[in-house]
Amino acid sequence: MNASSLTSILIWLPIAGAILIWILPLSRYATGSLALLFSLAEVGFWIEQAARFDFTRSGLQMEERATWFGDLHVSYHVGVYGFSMWLVGLTVVAMAACTGYGFWVGRDRSRAYFGLMLLLTGATVGVFVAQDLLVFYAFFEAMLIPLYVLIGVWGGARRMEATIKFVIYTMAGSLLMLAAIIAYGLKSGTFDLVNGPTSASRWLFLGFMLAFVIKAPLFPFHGWLPDAYREAPPEVSAVLSGVIAKAGLYGMLRIAIAKFPDPTSFYRTAVLALAAAALVYGSLLAFRSTDFRGVVAYSSLAQSGLIALGLFAGTDLGFDGAVLQMVAHGLISTSLFLIAGAVERRTTTGEFRFLGGMARGRPALATLLMTLGVISLAVPGSASFAGEFLILAGVFQRAWWWSAIGAGAIVLAAMYMLRLISAVLHEARGSTVADEALDLRPGELALVVPLVAGLLFLSAWPAGISHHSFFGQSPAASVRSQFK
Amino acid sequence: MTGGAWLCLLAPLGGTSLITLCGTRIPRVAAAWIATTSVFVAFGGAVWAFVSLRSQNGHRGEFTTAWTWLESGNFHAGLQLFVDPLSTVMMLIVSGVGGLIVLYSIGYMDGDDEERRYFAYISFFVFSMLLLVEGGNLLLLLAGWGLVGLSSYLLIGFWHERPSAVEAAKKAFVMNAFGDATMALAFFILIAHTHSLSFVSGFGVGLSPTAVNLVALGLLGGAAAKSAQIPLQTWLPDAMEGPTPVSALIHAATMVTAGVYLIARTHFIFEQARTVELIAAGTGALTLLVAGLIALVQVDIKRVIAYSTMSQIGYMFLGAGVGAYSSGMFHLMTHAFFKALLFMTAGLAIHALAGEQDIRNMRGLGRLMPFTKWCFLAGALALVGIPPFSGFFSKDSIVASTAALGTWYGWIFWVCGIAGAFLTGLYTFRLWFLVFPGEPSPFVREHHHKHHGREGAWTMLVPVGVLAVLATVGGWLQWSPQWHPFSDWLEPAARTLAVAAPTNTQEYYTSVATVLAGLAGIAVAWAIYSERKLAIPAAPFWRRTLEHKFWFDELYDAVFYKPTAAFAAALRREFEEPVVLQTGPDLGRTTLETGGFVRRIQTGLLRTYVLFLAAGAAGVVLAFLIAK
Repeated sequence: MNASSLTSILIWLPIAGAILIWILPLSRYATGSLALLFSLAEVGFWIEQAARFDFTRSGLQMEERATWFGDLHVSYHVGVYGFSMWLVGLTVVAMAACTGYGFWVGRDRSRAYFGLMLLLTGATVGVFVAQDLLVFYAFFEAMLIPLYVLIGVWGGARRMEATIKFVIYTMAGSLLMLAAIIAYGLKSGTFDLVNGPTSASRWLFLGFMLAFVIKAPLFPFHGWLPDAYREAPPEVSAVLSGVIAKAGLYGMLRIAIAKFPDPTSFYRTAVLALAAAALVYGSLLAFRSTDFRGVVAYSSLAQSGLIALGLFAGTDLGFDGAVLQMVAHGLISTSLFLIAGAVERRTTTGEFRFLGGMARGRPALATLLMTLGVISLAVPGSASFAGEFLILAGVFQRAWWWSAIGAGAIVLAAMYMLRLISAVLHEARGSTVADEALDLRPGELALVVPLVAGLLFLSAWPAGISHHSFFGQSPAASVRSQFK
Repeated sequence: MTGGAWLCLLAPLGGTSLITLCGTRIPRVAAAWIATTSVFVAFGGAVWAFVSLRSQNGHRGEFTTAWTWLESGNFHAGLQLFVDPLSTVMMLIVSGVGGLIVLYSIGYMDGDDEERRYFAYISFFVFSMLLLVEGGNLLLLLAGWGLVGLSSYLLIGFWHERPSAVEAAKKAFVMNAFGDATMALAFFILIAHTHSLSFVSGFGVGLSPTAVNLVALGLLGGAAAKSAQIPLQTWLPDAMEGPTPVSALIHAATMVTAGVYLIARTHFIFEQARTVELIAAGTGALTLLVAGLIALVQVDIKRVIAYSTMSQIGYMFLGAGVGAYSSGMFHLMTHAFFKALLFMTAGLAIHALAGEQDIRNMRGLGRLMPFTKWCFLAGALALVGIPPFSGFFSKDSIVASTAALGTWYGWIFWVCGIAGAFLTGLYTFRLWFLVFPGEPSPFVREHHHKHHGREGAWTMLVPVGVLAVLATVGGWLQWSPQWHPFSDWLEPAARTLAVAAPTNTQEYYTSVATVLAGLAGIAVAWAIYSERKLAIPAAPFWRRTLEHKFWFDELYDAVFYKPTAAFAAALRREFEEPVVLQTGPDLGRTTLETGGFVRRIQTGLLRTYVLFLAAGAAGVVLAFLIAK
């Protein structure tokens, strides 16, 4: 197989799977198996891609280009850089786990459900590999449609409210981005991200950034987040915070920072301030949240802030740390939401006041939640510690106070995460925790353990990502040269 | 040599993994023996490293790197160990004393239904502690530093159904996270200036005075948090919620002394920031007095020993802070012996009394437990520093080196050291007189029971016996004026500063003064407590102040925790819910209303639509083009 077709396969294979599932009149079980098979094949293709990726070479790899609208210089142009390859990997692995979760809990209207999950996979991969602005936009929007339906149909009691909020917020961002894309394309004569020139327009920068800060999200654009994360089915919350949020952060790196160097410096302090605000504000609200998913949701807001701090630090350590942290946090929050789902299935609630004492007699649940919790609060030696350390060391070179704020937020992270752990696992048994509530079953373990194993592997070798995301010795120089 | 270091580091990690993966498929006792064996294998590795380092010429140390752990730009940190005199001493102490305590745990934890989890945790702790002392750069040191904090959290909260244990565990973790954060900030300064955190590059050289002072302060913050020094000490007494062997291993013998190791390891930096180094010494002097005073009113046997630990680490900080690194390290070693011994004898007592920890109920226990009694006495005499017990040799040289400074603060430190010796004698023998001599009290008679016809299982008695011997003779390794192989060994890694090297005269009169002060403390304890006249001093204000541990907990609660919690709650109530979360629905409502209004232009004529569409898109594009 030609290496460069791998990128397209990663996009279109799950979409083809989705169409197949919608066409074939299969039973629920067969549909789920087929979807799981497609998502596992996707993981296999990604492993092949990672194995063939040449880290000693600069520039775009496994590139494919076909002219779409010749006179507008729009082409179907896809390919991967080191950092986008890691995000594709995060996407396919997390989506496989989440699709598996949907299969495990037996979602109703299974053909619609699994088709949408596969469509979401393909679209998200497309966002991370698109090298043409219109293609990027198409996938960015295509990613949202399945999400609206997944939240609106399979969500909790207040799902419509959550969906409407989500639609309004993301649409507002996307439309401005579309306008910015068109203006950029007309002005520079091409929509291509690789060959297109940089721009000094502050308005265009803001048009892109608004879409990305809503998607990431950063404070105060997170109004959609708490409801969406609470009301969506757990596996969709997992995708939202683990993967979709990363699309916003990826957009900042790939488009806002790389294509708009001057506006980036001009607005650097403002964005850093928003990021720091997200970090502190998210941590404080996570500390006061009264339910499992609330804590994880607000901690995702805080983590997005942290990653944005790293990206807008504009230093070598900041960029590497941000990419590492995107992957680490993606794995962490995906697994945490899946475990939240497992807990809710056993107790019917995620409210802390009804939970507690689940560690006794449930060693697998206790071990996994404890491991994830301490990695999530960035215990030194973990992958997320490595990411946070690089980010804060990177932003320190910009100004010391950003790191001081970040270090303070790390203490807050310890406070909210330990609170979550003991509220679920420790002290007296909660009123909804029945003695018969089972430990994690083999099916659930098969979904979460690989993610945790990935995190432990990254903890042993964070340089695997931090040193393999950008070509050359200096990520900042690589960003300045448009990754060429 | 490096093989020994890797073996030492990885054996306990292997133990943890094995126990975790086997789960309930192996019997509890197998988990216990896996953990014990792995820690003794680690001790073997440490001996291997020590012996080969000794045979090496000049024994300056050697680095060994497995792979690059973290790399970015021109910063990289390897998964790198450093085998030098300082790290081998720590490896021997951690794995040696650790092995004895894990062995003791087999008897102590027997019958607990979550024994496997305990032994997985405790070998994970030993691994983390070894990573801390063997790490060849500051980043790995911080990794070990954080992981010992994690294992401490896990073990303090081991009995997780007790709310007090869970609270204590969280408190310990969060206070240590604060210390981790200050250390990380110090590292950021180092990275920004030198791009390296490795011990090789003569790190910290060439920094500006401000930077080096800040780095030293950051390191001191971490050290104070981990070693429970004022003002970050409040977690340690609460940590006694954990099982007693944990208190012996983590909260007395090894982890809490890590701050002293850190100062000795980074002494290049502290010597450039001499003021901060003296602040460390002053912190130690203050802590040793305050903790000694609080120990006087505690009624829980473990808490008395916990405060004594804080006080003794205060001595070590004092020694390392004035520049007598080898004296600080020597006291760290003897303290590991006698403090582990004291905790483990206390554990025997608690075990024999079915979990009772209140010393007011324990009178006359010595009659029933003679072995425990004599071993405790050996530990107590070593703690007070009565010759020829080990504490005498190590404590003396610390106090003497403060005299060698010859400055006004040097003399203040000296007086604190002597006063601390008096307090040590007083609180230690208060414990002794209240618990061991005399006729057994009715409570003791009623609750005392033997295990296996002895004072405890053999796995508990053997380590106690070994440590009693070490607590007695362990100090003979060094008697500063005449005989100092320990300092000589450490010299390549952490040479004592010239200003902190006492003369023979200073050594002698300090020895006499500390021993007399210790004896005086014992005498006062005898006068007050031997007849059990009163267990607690009577002056109400001071008594309340001491019982509330100088109100530190209340202060932190009022200054840090409550405002943070209240601020977070207010943010949610006043901003998040009314403003942020309402924006979406408001926007939605507005959209609907506007939609209802705009609906009127829905004429059904395609040409109107296309016109609007084109005009709108053109307008936005035009706006962007004009505005640039």
